Amino acid sequence: MTADSLLFFILAAMTVGSALVVILASNPIFCSLALAMAMISVAGIFASLNAWFVAGVQLIVYAGAVMVLFVMVLMLFDLKDEVRAFSRGLVSGFFKIASVAVIGGVIAAAVWMSTETIFSTAPAAPTVNATVATKQLADLLFKKYLFSFEAMGALLLIIAIGAVALSRIEGGTHADK
Amino acid sequence: MPINDALLNVGLSHYLILSALLFTLGLLGVLLRRNVIVILMSIELMLNAVNITFVAFSRYSPTANMDGQAMVFFVMTIAAAEAAVGLALATTIFKKFREVNIRYFEHLKG
Repeated sequence: MTADSLLFFILAAMTVGSALVVILASNPIFCSLALAMAMISVAGIFASLNAWFVAGVQLIVYAGAVMVLFVMVLMLFDLKDEVRAFSRGLVSGFFKIASVAVIGGVIAAAVWMSTETIFSTAPAAPTVNATVATKQLADLLFKKYLFSFEAMGALLLIIAIGAVALSRIEGGTHADK
Repeated sequence: MPINDALLNVGLSHYLILSALLFTLGLLGVLLRRNVIVILMSIELMLNAVNITFVAFSRYSPTANMDGQAMVFFVMTIAAAEAAVGLALATTIFKKFREVNIRYFEHLKG
């Protein structure tokens, strides 16, 4: 087993294990910590794909900003262990797990068939220098996708104003009941 | 495919399988959990799975192109926006009911 594949399998095991903790832990704080672990592992996966800049942005945006948002809201709520963390109902639970199994099977079949036909012999594209790759990415973002990029900025502004307006309804979080 | 080959040569299919696994786990969390915040976390997991697919296809495309990595930025922006609005909605529920259970969402209308 080469070092590259060993690294991939360690990162994949960390990602899937943390994802399992996210959906199984009954204490939301544990869920958020496991989610941070999953984000960091995904950043490692990006790095193993030679996407260095995306890995850095993943660390800053997800493991930094989004996780801080989640943890702040959790601490604001002061939640204890949930008595009933999962939805009740045996029949509906069975249908939910069955539908997840169906979707998982469809995705697995799609991956299997596409890799058999298209990508089995395709080698990886030649790796370029990290600086060159980041420059290419910047060219794409600021030339080809410039309009989408600006639209994303406008969207973020609208979302920020909307979130503040939404959480100010009825006098803030600590309003008297 | 011999098992030794699959262990030695990590390729596109490895990343796609990991992404499918992560997406399915996130979907399971969205369907089964009752806490709004944990549901939002599961959605983040699903979006991350999609990001892995984008980057893997960008790496293993026959001609080197970075379009997949550019898409990851848009997915991240949407994910951050979705987390902000979802958490604001969760605060609204918490203010009314002192709990963030998904079943209280139906009382928010009006």
